[in-house]
Order: sequence, then C-alpha cells, then structure tokens
Amino acid sequence: MSDEYDNNKSYQAQSSETMGGSAPASPDMDYVRPAETPDQELYHGHSFITKWVFCQDAKVIGVQYFLTAVFTGIVGLILSWLMRLQLGFPGAAGFMTAEHYYQFVTMHGMIMVVYFLTALFLGGFGNYLIPLMVGARDMVFPYVNMISFWMFFIAVAVLMASFFVPGGPTGAGWTLYPPQTILPGTPGAGMGILLMLVSLSLFVIGFTMGGLNYLITILQARTRGMTLMRMPLTVWGIFTATVLAMLAFPALLVSAIMMTLDKILGTSFFMPTILQAGEVLEYGGGSPILFQHLFWFFGHPEVYIVALPAFGIVSDLISVHSRKNIFGYRMMVWAIVGIGALSFFVWAHHMYVSGMNPWFGFFFATTTLIIAVPTAMKVYNWILTLWRGNIRLNTVMLWCLGFIVTFVNGGITGIFLGNVSVDVPLSDTYFVIAHFHMVMGIAPLMVIMGAVYHWFPLVSGKFLDEKLGKWHFWLTFLGAYSIYFPMHYLGFIGVPRRYFEMYDSPYMTSAVGMNEFISMAAFIVGAAQFILIYNIIRTLKVGKKAGQNPWKANSLEWLTSTVPPEHGNFGERLPVVHRWPYDFSVPGAKDDFITQTTPPSEVVHTEVEKT
Amino acid sequence: MSDPQIEGLQLKPGFKGMSEDTGSDQTMFKGVHWGKAMMWIFLLSDTFVFSCFLISYMKGRGSTLVDWPYPSEVFALHVGGVSVPLLLIAIMTFVLITSSGTMALAVKYGYEKNRKMCGWLVLATALGGLTFVGMQAFEWTKLIEEGVRPWENPFGAAQFGSFFFMITGFHGTHVSIGVIFLFIYAYKVFAGHYENGGKRGWFTTMKGDYVEIEILGLYWHFVDLVWVFIFAFFYLW
Amino acid sequence: MVKAEKKEQSASTHKIGIYMWIWGLLFVLSFFSYMVDWYNFQGMLRWSLILFFMFLKAGLIMAFFMHLFWERYALVNVLLWPMTAIACFIFLMVAEFEYTLFSRAFYFVVGGGA
Ligand code: HEM
Ligand SMILES: [Cu+2]
Repeated sequence: MSDEYDNNKSYQAQSSETMGGSAPASPDMDYVRPAETPDQELYHGHSFITKWVFCQDAKVIGVQYFLTAVFTGIVGLILSWLMRLQLGFPGAAGFMTAEHYYQFVTMHGMIMVVYFLTALFLGGFGNYLIPLMVGARDMVFPYVNMISFWMFFIAVAVLMASFFVPGGPTGAGWTLYPPQTILPGTPGAGMGILLMLVSLSLFVIGFTMGGLNYLITILQARTRGMTLMRMPLTVWGIFTATVLAMLAFPALLVSAIMMTLDKILGTSFFMPTILQAGEVLEYGGGSPILFQHLFWFFGHPEVYIVALPAFGIVSDLISVHSRKNIFGYRMMVWAIVGIGALSFFVWAHHMYVSGMNPWFGFFFATTTLIIAVPTAMKVYNWILTLWRGNIRLNTVMLWCLGFIVTFVNGGITGIFLGNVSVDVPLSDTYFVIAHFHMVMGIAPLMVIMGAVYHWFPLVSGKFLDEKLGKWHFWLTFLGAYSIYFPMHYLGFIGVPRRYFEMYDSPYMTSAVGMNEFISMAAFIVGAAQFILIYNIIRTLKVGKKAGQNPWKANSLEWLTSTVPPEHGNFGERLPVVHRWPYDFSVPGAKDDFITQTTPPSEVVHTEVEKT
Repeated sequence: MSDPQIEGLQLKPGFKGMSEDTGSDQTMFKGVHWGKAMMWIFLLSDTFVFSCFLISYMKGRGSTLVDWPYPSEVFALHVGGVSVPLLLIAIMTFVLITSSGTMALAVKYGYEKNRKMCGWLVLATALGGLTFVGMQAFEWTKLIEEGVRPWENPFGAAQFGSFFFMITGFHGTHVSIGVIFLFIYAYKVFAGHYENGGKRGWFTTMKGDYVEIEILGLYWHFVDLVWVFIFAFFYLW
Repeated sequence: MVKAEKKEQSASTHKIGIYMWIWGLLFVLSFFSYMVDWYNFQGMLRWSLILFFMFLKAGLIMAFFMHLFWERYALVNVLLWPMTAIACFIFLMVAEFEYTLFSRAFYFVVGGGA
C-alpha cells in the first residue's frame, strides 16, 4: 500500500509509517490533524419506546432491520418448501392449485431479493456496521434513519397483507411483466398487484432515507485519520451497493407508479391492444417492453446491491480468519466500484428473448462479459489471501469457503447466459434458476451466515456454538448443492421454470427421481436454518463470553469502549486511525494483528504496510 | 461557495484538489454541511426519477402510430379572440424563474445574516410557487374540460394525456411540497431560529443554521431545473 | 459546522450582480425558447434550438443558483458521473423506440411477413 502523499507535514504524519524501520519513535509521527466537525450530539432515548421501538441508535435500527428481514426470509423459505413439495411430489400439498403456485413463486422471488437480502445487507449490516467501522458516533441523521426502518416495516406489512386480500397476492412472477400482471387470469390481478406496487414504492421511499444516511456517514463523518482507502472492504461494499440502490430504485419507483396508473386509471403506458376471450380491451398503444427496460435498469443493479456487500464482508472475514492482509486491497476497492459502475450498462441481458431491438444483444453481451473481469479479479484475490495464510478453519471460515465455491459456480453459468446464442435456448429453464440461486441466493446467504457467526460476539458479547455452527454449515452447503446442481441438468433437458407441474411431458418421466431428490434436499436445507435460530437462543442463555475483540481483528467496530457497544459507540473520545484494518501477521510485530488505532510510534520496528 | 478554511489542511484547487479531497480523511466534500451533502445526493436520485419518466415519455411518443397531439395548439390560450400558443406555459415558466431568482437571493442574504431580507425573499419564493401550482391547477381544469383524460383525449394518441398528467402531476407534487417547506422556513427565518447560534430543529439535536436555507434553495432550484426539461420536451418539442 | 467555515461562508457570498445577471439571462433564454414555438420553426432547427436553450438554462441554474460553479470538484465530479448511465439509457431507448415503431408499422400497417 505505498502512497505518494506529499511531504507536506500534516500528510506525512497522517500516512504515518516508518521509513525503512529505522526512524526513531517520536511523538510527532503520530500526529493526525484535528477534527473538521465538532462531535455529534445524540438524542438519548429514556423510555422503552424511544430506546427500543422508535429508536434512533443505528445499532438498534440495524437489529430491527435484521429481524424484520429474517422474518420475511422465513416466509420466503416456507413458500419455497411449498413449491418444492408440489414439484417433487405433485399433488402432495392437497390445497395447491396452479394459481397458488404462481403466487408462491412470485412472493418467494420478490421477498428473497428485495425484502430479505437487500434489507438485510444494507438496512441490517449497513446500519450496524457503518458508523462503527468508520468511527462515527451514529448515522448522520438518526431521526431520518429511524423513519427509514418504519417505512420498511410498513412496506413489509403491506406486502404480507396481500396474502389476505380477496384474490390473494400477485402471481405475475417477481418481474411483474405487463400486460398479464394486471389482467384478469393472472392470480392476484386485483388487490394483490396493487398492494405489491404500493409496498415496493414504500420500500423505495424508506430505503432512500436510509441510503442517504449511509452515504453521507461514509463520505462526511469518518473519524480522524480514516481515509477512504483505510476503510474495511465491508464498508466499501455497502457503500457502493447503496449508491447503486439510490440510482436504480428510481426506475423501479417509476415503473411501479406507471403500472399503478395502468391498473387503476386505465392508462396504457405498458398495455398494448389486447384481445381477451374474443373482446378487445380498452387498453391500446402502450409498450410492454418499456416496462422490461425500466424493471431491469433497476433489476440488474439490484443483483449487485445484494452481491457487493457480500463481496465486501467476505473479504474482511477471510482476511481476519486467515490472519493475512487482503490480497490487493486497492484492486478490490476498484473492482467493487468498477462492477458497480458497469452494472448500469448491462441490464438488457435479461431481455434477450423479449423482442427488443435485435442489435442490443451484441451491446449487452459485450458489457456483460466485461463485468466478469473485475469479478474474476476479486475471486483470485480471495484465493490469494487464503494462500499460505494461517487459516482458522472455524465456522466463519467455512461459510467463506462455501461462498467462494458457490459464487464461482454461479458466476461461470452466468458467463454462459451472458451470451445471446447460449441464453436463447436456456432462458426460462431451470438452468437460469440454478444460476441465479447459486450466484445471488446461496452465495450471499453463505456470507450472511458467516457474518452472523463473526459479528454475533460483538452484538451480544457471546460466541455462537461452533459445533452447532458446523452442523448448520455442512447441512446447508451440501444441501444447497444437492438442490441446485441437478437443476443445471434439468435446464439442459429443457424443463421450463415457473411451471406448476410437468404432467406427462418427457421431462416428467425422465426427471421424476431427480425432482424428488431436490425437494428432499430443499426440506433439509430449510430445516437446517432452524439450527441457527436454536443456536442463537441457546447462546443468549448459556453462551461462552466473548470479551473484547475476540477474533483479534483490527477494525474499529471491535475497539469500542464496551462490548456490546453502547449508544455513541466509542465512549468519551472517538478513535484516531493510523492505518488500514488489514495489518495481520506483520513481521516484527509482537502480536499477529495491529489495530487501526495503533500509532506509528508503537510499530517502528516492524515491516508494517504504509497506508 | 469559495473554499472553506480547514485547520491543518491546505486545500488545492481543481482536479488536484479533487483527488486530494477524495484521498483525505474525515470528509470528502470539504466544508460541506451534512444536510447539504444529503440534499445533493437526494437530488441526484430524484434526477434519476425524472429521467426515467422523461425517457418513458420519449419511448412512448417515439413509437406511437397514432398522431401525437400538437402541443402548441393543445396548450394555446384564447385571448381576445386570438389563439396565443403556449401562453399559460410561458407565464408559468416566467413565474417559476422569478421564484428561482428570489430564492437565490434569499440564500445570499441568509449567509450575510440579513434576517429580514432573507425572510421576505423566502416568502416571495413561496408565493411564486403557490402561483405556479394555482396556474397548473387551472391548466389541468382547462384540459379536462376539453376532454383530455389520462386514458384518452380527442386530439390523438391516448398516451399524450397519460404522460402529461403523470409528469406534470409528479412535478407539481414536488412544487407543492417545496411551497409548504418554503412557508415553514420563512417562518423559521423571521422567528430567528438561525440567529445567535441557532435554535434546535424538530426531531434533531442539530442547531439551526442559515445553511438550511441553502439546502432548501437547492431543492427549489432543482424543481425549476426539472421544469426547464419538461418545458422543452413536453411543450416545445 | 466548524467555526472556521462559518466565518468563511459569510465572507464569501457573491456579489448581487452575478445573481441579477443570471436571473436576467434565464428570462431572456426562456423568451428565446418560446420564440422557437412562436415562429414555428420545424425540423432539425427547432430541435437543436430547443436543446441548446434548454441546456444553457439548466447549466446556468446549476452552476450559479445551485452554486456548483463555486463548489469543489470533488462534489461536482460525484454529481456528474452518474449522468453517463442516464445518457446510455436515453441513447438505447432512442434505438428501441425506432425499432418498436418499425415493427408496429411493419406488422400492423404493412401487414408483416404473413
Ligand atoms: C432453500 C432455499 C431456496 C429454495 C428451495 C428455493 C426454491 C425456489 C423455487 C422452487 C423457485 C421457483 C422455480 C419456478 O417454478 O420457476 C424459486 C424461484 C426464485 N427464487 Fe428461490 N429458493 C430458495 C432461496 C432463494 C433465495 C435466497 C433467493 C434470493 C435471491 C431466491 C430467489 C428466487 C427468485 C428471484 C426466483 C424467481 C421467481 C420468479 O420466477 O418470479 N430464492 N426458488
Ligand atoms: Cu443482470
């Protein structure tokens, strides 16, 4: 991490490190210029309501986001069980009709992508970790942050309400493609779709409030000495994902508004002339493909909104648990930023079979394959970080390794699908299902699990049980592979996605056993997640005390005055940062880690990186 | 505003300054108030909202087989028996630009701690905004009387009405929200919330400061900016 | 915010003249773009004039009324880069509406391949 700071006095002090290890320790070299902004004044809640319900502490808000997202995630999981039950053992779930199946597919997809993963990574981890990691007392606008959570909460409530309205939730697929989405014949084309659109709009508004907080906290409220290039990659991942969200959600909002108008006012933004049961409908002249463009202008960045925080978090976990600095920190940062920027130029690779302008295939295949380059760089860097590291094969590390495997797997099938000629026969088959579950379902989920095992000692002060953790990991990892690996094959033989039943088609006869196997695996994987819930409850009761900085990590969240950190995070004085968070196993240092707050004068005789 | 003074840091101009600001600790936008930075990022996001609306409009209008109504005639006003094209729109534009100017001056006087001038100018801006909303309501009424509906209109492609009501409606909502805040802030300025170290706002522990007028101004100018694009693309094109 | 900055800000407001100039220019430019319609220019001339006045007005508002001209490049830079995504979106949607128009004309009017 060599840095060409000027020899300007203040900068020299800031960049801090020893020149060749021989410089004498002087107090001057620890100088960091004073704070630009005065300390943030916080509103401290006193009653139960202001402390735990309408709380303005980002950490509590993070936990609230986390729990709400996990709740929706469990709903999504149960829906996937029901779908797999039907697919593996047609008719076994007696009440399930084709309409139900579509509704479950739709709600499962939307819940998992938006209300579970996005909310969990940005709302949950973002809120908890950003202020701690950049050395701030709280988010910059705690009140707005609190409102953000409650907007999300209402959005979830509206979404869940759609299960109970006449006609049930929408069954249009999570992509909500018009014109069928709002026409009779699609389940939930009445209230269901309206509630979905309202809920999405509320989600966007709530997220915007939170997102502004995350961005401004990272950009304008870092502690003394914390440069952007000294931030943990977790923060970089969440930061870039939030930027994407701020710029991509508008397209979702706009398409939701336009579709709502089509539905309730009878405008024809997305609705062409339609003949239904021999009758010409009132609609006419609209463009369904416009919706697809708007949706995927949001939808593709959305994929990276889920993936980038996972990239960031897993980098930190791998570095800490293999006691090595992350390989190519700057490359990692630029890869995150580059992937984020490119993700706005690839959206129509989801539309190769939509009937868009045929020249677009060329453009979007090219940009899509370009984005694979920074992504592959990140994978190499994770592996090179592990290379000859002092790997602790604990539960956290297992989840990280699981992530690398599933992510590479899903990434490779992504390159298949990025090419028009390969995608055309494979689109809308189980190959696609396998691809995106690997890359944006299971892989980020692995990171979430790793992160939960990693940061639980910070949030609660206690270690989760390792033995249960390992059971949890192996069941989930092997199980998830058993679910999705065979699906690639199903895709190759042409099994279409979003089908309730295959009846007597050749697929049915040749793949019966496979479908049963996949379903069994899905039940086991789903059930295995309850091991974690049991583990958490047990740990809270009888878990092993963790104490301060149990993993011997370097970043600021472990250096708070109390564990778990209290409101205001750092006690009397904010920490002053002198280095990046990856100084592990530095030759010459007495410990195998040097925290970000260790001043240069204490490490003059080590070969510490200059950051 | 011109460069802030920051203890222990020599700010450089131009691109050199840009890279050093970005590479420095604590803040990336040197001397920029949190609220102001937040408003800028919000406006960036809002720009994407309006861009998506206008892009949809472009796609809709560009691919229609039915003739698009001729805005110059649809939006004409009859004054003394002659039809003047786009008269009302021209007046609305005039009003909005006027209010933008008063807002810009309000910000200037705010920073000069001229409470009276600042307050009156914010109030004038609010009144300008109110006039604009009023005229828009008049325009909507007139079109509805002529049979223009979101789902159909007598002049041509049905999407004309759809996009018109949606886009001007969304812009009008922005103006209305702005007007409400302008009135509130006019009160706050007159009441002296930004004097003597500032009074704490609602729901926040931050002290009031005239920078809030600049933040409000950013929003208001943005609304004006959007109108520039709507004027060009919807009425003139 | 910081003391130093406050002092700075009150000292650094701009002369009233600059605002008056911009204000005046905005009126004049709006008048010109109105004239485009008044004189009923058509075709390329109309569109290029509309765009020219539009961008000029937008630029003046952003640069002076919103103070971007005086802001440090770090902020300006962050605000302008994302517009490339919008530019790309616009560019592609132009191609898309032309294709939609073509296929509508081809299948609905001409009668298509059938
Ligand atoms: C144990 C875990 C999971 C199982 C067993 C599972 C199973 C399924 C099944 C059976 C389908 C429907 C396939 C079809 O008929 O077209 C589906 C669709 C989908 N799943 Fe999952 N899933 C799981 C986790 C996830 C996660 C974590 C995500 C987050 C990204 C996710 C996102 C989606 C999406 C976006 C769809 C497409 C919905 C649509 O076609 O509209 N799933 N999943
Ligand atoms: Cu994509």
